[in-house]
This record gives sequence, structure tokens and C-alpha cells, in this order.
Amino acid sequence: MTLIGQRIPKLDAADKATGRSRYIQDLRLPGLLEARVLRSTVPHGRIVSVDVSRAREAPGVFAVLASQDIPPKRYGYAKDTTALKGDRVRRIGDEIAAVAAVDADAAAEALDLIRFEIEPLPAVFDPERTLDPGAPLVHEDRGSNLVRTHDYAHGRVEEGFARAAHVVEGTFRLPAQAHGCLGPAGAVAEWDARGRLTLHDPTQIPFLIQRDLADTLGIPPSDLRIIQPTIAGGFGARLDLYPHEIISALLARAAGRPVRLAMDREEDFATDPVRPRTVVRMRTAAAADGALLAREADVIVDCGAYVSWGAVTPIVMMHTMGSFYRVPHVKYRARTVYTNTAPTGAFRGFGNPEITFAIESQMDELAARIGIDPVEMRLRNANQPGEVTPQGSRITSCGMKECLEAVRERMPPPGTRPPGGRPLLRAAGENLVASATQTETESPSSPAICPAGRIEGTEPARSPLRRGIGVAAVFHVGGGARIYRSDGCGAMVKIDDFGKATVVVGATDIGQGMETVAAQMAAEELGVPLEAVRIAPADTDVRPWDVGVHASRTTFIAGNAVRAAAKDAKRQIEAARTALGLPPDTPYDKVVRSEHFRDQGSLVIGRAYFDPPNAMVDAENKGNVSAAYVFGAHAAEVEVDVETGQVRVLRVVAAHDVGRAINPMYVEGQIEGGVMQGIGYALLEEVILREGGMSNPNFLDYRMPGPQDMPSIETVIVETNDPSGPFGAKGIGEPPLVPVAAAIANAVANATGVRLRELPMTPERVWRALRAWADVEAPGEICGKE
Amino acid sequence: MRPFDYVEPRSVDEAVALLSRGGERTRLLAGGTDLIPRLRRRQWRIDRLIGLRRIDGLRDLTLEDGVLAIGAGVTLEELAASTTVSDVCPLLAEAARLMASPQVRALATIGGNLCHASPAADLAPPLLCLNATLRAIGPSGGRDIPIGEFFTGPGRSALRDGELLVQVRVPAVEGRGVYLKFSPRRAMDLAVVGVACFRSHGVATVAVGAAAPTPLRVPASPDEAAARCSPIDDLRASAEYRREMVRVLTRRALEIVP
Ligand SMILES: Cc1cc2nc3c(=O)[nH]c(=O)nc-3n(C[C@H](O)[C@H](O)[C@H](O)COP(=O)(O)OP(=O)(O)OC[C@H]3O[C@@H](n4cnc5c(N)ncnc54)[C@H](O)[C@@H]3O)c2cc1C
Repeated sequence: MTLIGQRIPKLDAADKATGRSRYIQDLRLPGLLEARVLRSTVPHGRIVSVDVSRAREAPGVFAVLASQDIPPKRYGYAKDTTALKGDRVRRIGDEIAAVAAVDADAAAEALDLIRFEIEPLPAVFDPERTLDPGAPLVHEDRGSNLVRTHDYAHGRVEEGFARAAHVVEGTFRLPAQAHGCLGPAGAVAEWDARGRLTLHDPTQIPFLIQRDLADTLGIPPSDLRIIQPTIAGGFGARLDLYPHEIISALLARAAGRPVRLAMDREEDFATDPVRPRTVVRMRTAAAADGALLAREADVIVDCGAYVSWGAVTPIVMMHTMGSFYRVPHVKYRARTVYTNTAPTGAFRGFGNPEITFAIESQMDELAARIGIDPVEMRLRNANQPGEVTPQGSRITSCGMKECLEAVRERMPPPGTRPPGGRPLLRAAGENLVASATQTETESPSSPAICPAGRIEGTEPARSPLRRGIGVAAVFHVGGGARIYRSDGCGAMVKIDDFGKATVVVGATDIGQGMETVAAQMAAEELGVPLEAVRIAPADTDVRPWDVGVHASRTTFIAGNAVRAAAKDAKRQIEAARTALGLPPDTPYDKVVRSEHFRDQGSLVIGRAYFDPPNAMVDAENKGNVSAAYVFGAHAAEVEVDVETGQVRVLRVVAAHDVGRAINPMYVEGQIEGGVMQGIGYALLEEVILREGGMSNPNFLDYRMPGPQDMPSIETVIVETNDPSGPFGAKGIGEPPLVPVAAAIANAVANATGVRLRELPMTPERVWRALRAWADVEAPGEICGKE
Repeated sequence: MRPFDYVEPRSVDEAVALLSRGGERTRLLAGGTDLIPRLRRRQWRIDRLIGLRRIDGLRDLTLEDGVLAIGAGVTLEELAASTTVSDVCPLLAEAARLMASPQVRALATIGGNLCHASPAADLAPPLLCLNATLRAIGPSGGRDIPIGEFFTGPGRSALRDGELLVQVRVPAVEGRGVYLKFSPRRAMDLAVVGVACFRSHGVATVAVGAAAPTPLRVPASPDEAAARCSPIDDLRASAEYRREMVRVLTRRALEIVP
């Protein structure tokens, strides 16, 4: 093997770095119109009237649509909405009407001419109150704001708690996290004269959208062609059918011209299918020796006003509940609920960061009660290779132990450090402040400057800085995830007259490097250099079926498909050599040309379809949804300023079992990016709602961490060579984000003695928690809201 | 954005004439980092923008007779990089370095920062400590406004209709100063609270930002400073927390410049 495990730059790296990649905003077509959407400014109301007549007369306007102008086709997971709202608006931002005009300014001016009247109705925003008797109903016809209940159990949970030596209990509150993709959402629709629609769309699910969108438009799915431009960030945000995709198609049909509906930044934020607000009430029991006995959780997940992927996160949480660590007794209930807020969606980790925050916080609480080291506590309960969990997950390869040991070795807890090592955990008061020290050496006239949060106190004894270390582990699917009946992906490998290979694969490159990894695998299998392989364009007319880019499935599933297709092509080459009587070392180009230039010749096109050996869950929610599982562990070192509440992450060690790193550079990229998004989730990011609408829809007020907020990250790749993975590989897309918040919260608890159970741990929230703790004047742990 | 006229006068007089003729729907454009987002959000309707970048002298930065004279068009980047500023009032250079991002600093000006009159404007607390004077020119001539009288409310300043800020004058006084900008992110963030402290000949002056409707001079004592400010609750922080941070940061600032 030569190409597997190599640090090969992405095929499109130079295009991206030099501005050549084309995003949806860059597309130019003759006659292209730009669209804008009129949105509700009230969270709940009855639409009394919408009058678009003046907008239709406005200069430069080609089409104006309100709900009466479009097919009243409901769509979505629960068929609970239409692209333009007819009788009701159910959240700030709901689509009321849309305009296509010569440019975005003309369209925006025309929106101002639309007259509409909405009679406000009472609204509900808090997922913890929305099931209260008398709460306003988001969908009156459903009679309740409950979308669905998910139940899961194994063992007898009460028995587990009864036998426990230690029980910890708490309520964890997780915020809505926005994706903040570099490129805002958008789509370009064009119809040809025969009524066939081409949609240029950076979607994560080209083949699923074909059916869903065609259905809302009333056309056969085969009359819909999806072309994906370069995707400028997804992370789950492009995993469903959204109103802007339907509206662009409808406007293009009405205008008889191609139409782009591209969101501006604020719109992208305000309509983002965020990670749902989630409340986890959890208790966990352990025996005196640290063995876990029972775990129980009651979860509420906010769906927003319409059901999208947010409503499915309880299924992922359920697998973590049932299979993460060896727990004999587990009980779980999750309720998904409507509120008058933006529909929630999929976000990297898909419920797992939420439930892992609770589980891993309680692992540390239990370790503290029992008096054992947090890593030891986890090792005692770790999943094992070959284990079948009570939930039905068949664990094949498993590097959980190796990951935990790797982070312990690199960030040992205080006291166990080898003598002479760098002191990692300094006691309070040991921190002499850098800036204050520098001051001494500067000339007297020069001022001492330091950004707040880094300092202070001239006497060491008064330093407000406390350091701590925290650990958290992760369990996640890594061999596909059977959420739909299909978890498959097709691939073809064509060898051309010049001996080059074109890989036609259904999977989507969302920036993670799928196309390069597919090329690496095909080149490896064919025994040709990487330069001899190219990837066919992302077009549903060309590429074969794939379920979509989600669930950390692409390297595993598409990789297996590409590898098998390449093998098939190679077999055909060999067969042709034999049939033609060519020597076994005849180069590919000569073999293929010989086929093409003879009577009754044939093509060399290898093909394969890979659908992994996993299963959908049964009626009891049990089953092996993934063909492989991945594990990881993170350790974080933080510094907390106890006077301001500011938490700084100084260092992260992140170890992940990836089966086999096909390209270690991308694995590191996934880990570093996951840590960054995890730090945002832990410390900074929160969609702040006012009347259910996002009040911080920009990068200044919705704070994602910047380069200066990032700690040093040490990545450790653990290779366990999964028997069913392509070259042994498993997934790595989502896992690196999952344990970050828990590791940081554990480090904050380690540093200060105060446990935060609510994210993000903003300075003010930490400050309040510290103050509440100081007020009770008793050592112990408290949390933000309880 | 809606269409509008754009003009670039070559002199202050020309700009003043255009401005006083223009009325409400005429605005001055410096770096545009505050103005353009507002236009894009369609918060303001305008007919005409007056670009200041071609006006002679507005970007001058000189030290004359013990006064650092900073043209209103000097950018944050120039403030941060200028050796004159770093020598004479490093407090101001350091405050500029803590603002926004390199891209924004390359455009944003000192004049825009002050005239936008945000309670959180980072240059305001240092300039309040340093007793700066703001030179304005209008239809009836020029006048000097002490910075303590410049800010009159959120987004409001003492500039009259038709008046232009042309220069910020900072007396070069010996002393030591510090600006503590407290924000959740280390860059690209607005201050939750900002505290500047300057000590000269044993006397400390303290000013705060984002803790009252305007940037404000406060007593040089942590408790009195906290009592004197009047912060609000908003999405960045609660009033209670801001007041407490004024106390903490004032104490730290006074300790740093003993
Ligand atoms: C991403 C980002 C980050 C930011 N970070 C910070 C930060 O950390 N700290 C901070 O304080 N600010 C920050 N800002 C705000 C802004 O960049 C600064 O206030 C900047 O100094 C404004 O200067 P400008 O030249 O761009 O002003 P402009 O936008 O051009 O003008 C602002 C206002 O002042 C008026 N004006 C400009 N010049 C004059 C003049 N000479 N006379 C009279 N009126 C005038 C304009 O008409 C306008 O009303 C940030 C902005 C952005 C977009």
C-alpha cells in the first residue's frame, strides 16, 4: 500500500486558496434573477390578508408569489408546513411572500410594497413550558405541542439504583447552536422548455431532495436534476428540504427565468436549522468500586415550529444512553416538542454532544464521590472490542481504552505526574501574572497594557486564576447509520483510453475531503498514481445513489463502494488482457484502447453498491444501526478567572479511534475543527431568542471562537483497523465535537469546585455560579439553574 | 442597499458646505465599518454619502507643542502602528490594537469611532483619561470640544448639524496607563465593559465604556466607580454583572499602574 495513510493535500485545495472554487453565490446564468423573501415579524399569528399587487408592478420585478399562488403542498418530516405560509405564521421569520427581480435591491424594494395583515396570537417559546396545560398550541389541529415520545429501556433501572453505592442527579440545559457556515444558504433554480428543473444547491442530500422537492412541486422526481456547487460549510445545516429551495423553484417557474434565492448573513442565521435547545434530566448510579449500575434520563428537545431533523436527535441520544460504557440498567424517555421558534435541525454530533455532556459530567461527579481518578472511572466501565451492548450495538474494533490512556499519558492528573515534568495544574496563587511582571521591565513612562481576563493581582496570593484539568470520552457511530431503509452508496470507476480513471460516486464532498479520499482509495486499488484519478461532477444525472453526507458515514460507506468498484474495474482489465491475449503487464491505456478498437469491444467500467450490514432499530428501539463504532477521549486544561468568570482553554489533547487514517491530515483537520466547534458550544455560542426570533444573528454577537481563542490542540490518532472498514477505516466527522463541552465543564469543576450544568459557560454564567457557591459557603457542587 | 449619490470633497470647507446643504439624508463616510452595516440593514435611508478619504490633512498625525494631533481620518491600524503614538500615548495605541480585526482596523477611523458615539467605543475611555480635545468645523467656523462634553447619549454627540470632526488633540502628559477591555472573545469582539486608567504625577484618572449611556469618567476607586456607572441589561451582559466588572477591572487597573 502506498497511498493509504499519506498526507495528501485536498484535490481542490489550490482552487479554494486562490478563489477559483465556485459557490452558489458565484453562479452566473443569462437572465438570472435574484429573489428576496418577506418574513413574519411576529412569532405566532393568523394571516388576515396578503396583497402583492403593488409589488408586481414595481420596476424590475418578474414574479411575486404568496401562498395562494403556489400548490398548497405540505412537506417535511411531519408534513406540517408549506413553503409560503397560508393561514398562520408560527415563528418570526416564517415565509409569507417572495419576489424575483433583476437584482436583490429591486427585490427588496418590492417587498416593501407588499401589504399584509397578521392578527397576533399567543405564542410559546420555552420547551420546558410548552407541554404545560393551557400553553398556546403551535399547531392547533394537532391538539398538543408534543411531537413524539421516544422510550428505551434495558435491564431494570430501579433495581440498579436500589443497589447503588452512589447516585448523582442533575438537570443539564443545552443551548441552540447555529452552524454559521462560511457560505450562507442559497439555491439557483432553472427550468427548461420541457418542464425539467435543474436546481443548483449546496445540499447534503441530493438524492433525497430529488424526491421531496419534486413532490412539493408536483413533478416526477426524474424531472429534477440537482447540481451541487462547492459547498461552503454544512455541518448538518443542509440536510433537509428547506423553504428557500422550494421558493426558488416556484419563482423560476413563475418568472420563466432562472432565479437565485441566496440568504444574507442575518437571514441565514435567523432561519438556520440550529442544534436544538435540549434539557436532560439525568441520574446515574455506581457501585462502590466505580462500576456503573444504572442510568436514567428524561429529555426534552425543541423542534421549533416545524419538524425537521432536530426531532430525530433523541434517536442518537438513545444509542449513547444504551451503549456508551457498560451499564446494565438503562431507562430513557425523550419528548420532542413544538415551540414558536425556528425549526431545529441536524448539527454535527446530532444529539450526541447534548447527551454526552450529561453522561460525562456525571462520570466525573461519581468519580469524585467514589474518590477515584476520572480516567480510571472511565476505564473501569469502558466498552470492549467484540462486545454486543444490551441495546444491540455490535462493537467490532474498539479503541476506547487506548484513547483514554493516550490522553492520561499526555495530560496526567495532578499528583500522578512524573517528577520533573511540567507542572500542569498550578494551585491558586501560583500564577504570577505575565503582563504585570513585564511591567517591571518596561521604562517607567510606558504603560502596562493587558487585555482583561489575563491578569492580575500584583501579589501572587491574590491571583484570581485557577487551573484545572477535565476529561471526557465519546461513543459514536462510525460505520454508517441506518436511519432510512437505505444506508447505501453507489460508485463507478471508468478507465479511459489514456489509462486514467474517473470515479463516479454518489457521496458528497462537504469540505471534509471525500473526493480526495475516494481518489486515494481508487488509485491504491488500481495501482495508479493519484494524478491518474479524477472525480466526476456532483450532478444527480451522472452520479449514482447515495443517502447523503451525514452520520460520519462517508469514508466508511463510500470508501467501501469506491474500493469495490475499483476492484471490479481492475478485474475487467485483467479479463480483457486474458481475452485479448495481452501480456499481464500491458498498461491500462493499451488494454482499454484495444477493447475500443476491436470488433465487439467493451468498456471498462467497474461498479459497486455498498449497503452496510447494519439494521434499523426494532419496535423496542434496539438494533445494530451501525456496522462499526468509534471512540475517543479528550482532556482539556482550563484557566478560570474567578473574579470575572472567564474560562480560557489552554490546552486540549484529543485522541480518536478512527480504525485507520486514510489521510491523517484530514483526520487532524476534523479533530481540530471539532474541538473548535466544541469550544464554541461550551463557552461562547448561543442563539439568543427574543419573542422566539434570533436577536444575535451576526458574527459579532453570535460568537464563534476565533484563532486567538483556540488552545493548543494535540491530536492522537488511534488505529484499530476495523474488519469491515475500507482499508480498516471508520468515521471521524462528528466525534471530535462530542466530548469537548463535557471535558471543559469537568475542567472548570476541577479548577473551581463548581459544576456548570448549563451551556455556554459564558463569563457571566460562570461568575453567577461561583457567586452562588460562595453564598452557600459550603464546599460541594452547584449548578447554574438548579 | 438603496441607490444614493456619492461625493468626495477635497477640502473640509467643501465637505461642510455639502453637509449643511444636504440635511438629514446626507451622511459622512469615513471607514464605513459602522455606517455601511446600518445602510445594509436599511436602518438609515440616505440620499447622499460624503466620502472623507480625499480630504487633505484629515489623515495627518503630528506632534506639535506637546500635543498629539490626530486627524479624524487616521485609521485604527495607523494608531496601532505609529511610533509617535506609541511613544507619546501608548495607551491609545494599545486600545486600538485590542479592537476588531486587522481587516476592520485597516478601514476604521478614530473619527468614526468617536462620532458613532457607541457607549462601547474602545477609544473613548483612553481619550477621556488623557483629557483629549475634539476639534470640529462647521458652517460657523471651528471650535474645540472637551471630550468630557462630546458624548451626549447612545449614538449621539455634541456635533451640531453641518459639523465635522477634524482632529483629536491629546496633550502629551507623562504617566502610565492601561486599558482593560473585557470581552468573551480575545479579538473581534465588543467590550462587555472597558476600563481605562491613567496615572500621572500620582493622580489616577479612570474612565469606563459600555457601563453607561455614554463613555464616562468615574472616580478612581473600585466601589465608587461601580456606583457611578449606570449600565443596562442587553444580550452581551446584565447590568448587575457589568457593574461588578467595573469594580473588578477598576481595581485591577489601579493595581497595574500603581
Ligand atoms: C467586525 C467589527 C468589529 C468591530 N469591533 C470594534 C471594537 O472592537 N471596538 C470598537 O470600538 N468598535 C468596533 N467596531 C465598530 C467600528 O469599526 C468602529 O467604531 C470604527 O472606529 C468606526 O470608524 P469608521 O471610520 O469605520 O466609521 P464610519 O462607519 O465611516 O462612520 C461612523 C459614523 O461616524 C460618522 N463620522 C465618521 N467620520 C466623521 C467625522 N470626521 N465627522 C463627523 N462624523 C463622522 C459617520 O457619518 C457615521 O455616522 C467594529 C465594527 C465591526 C464591523
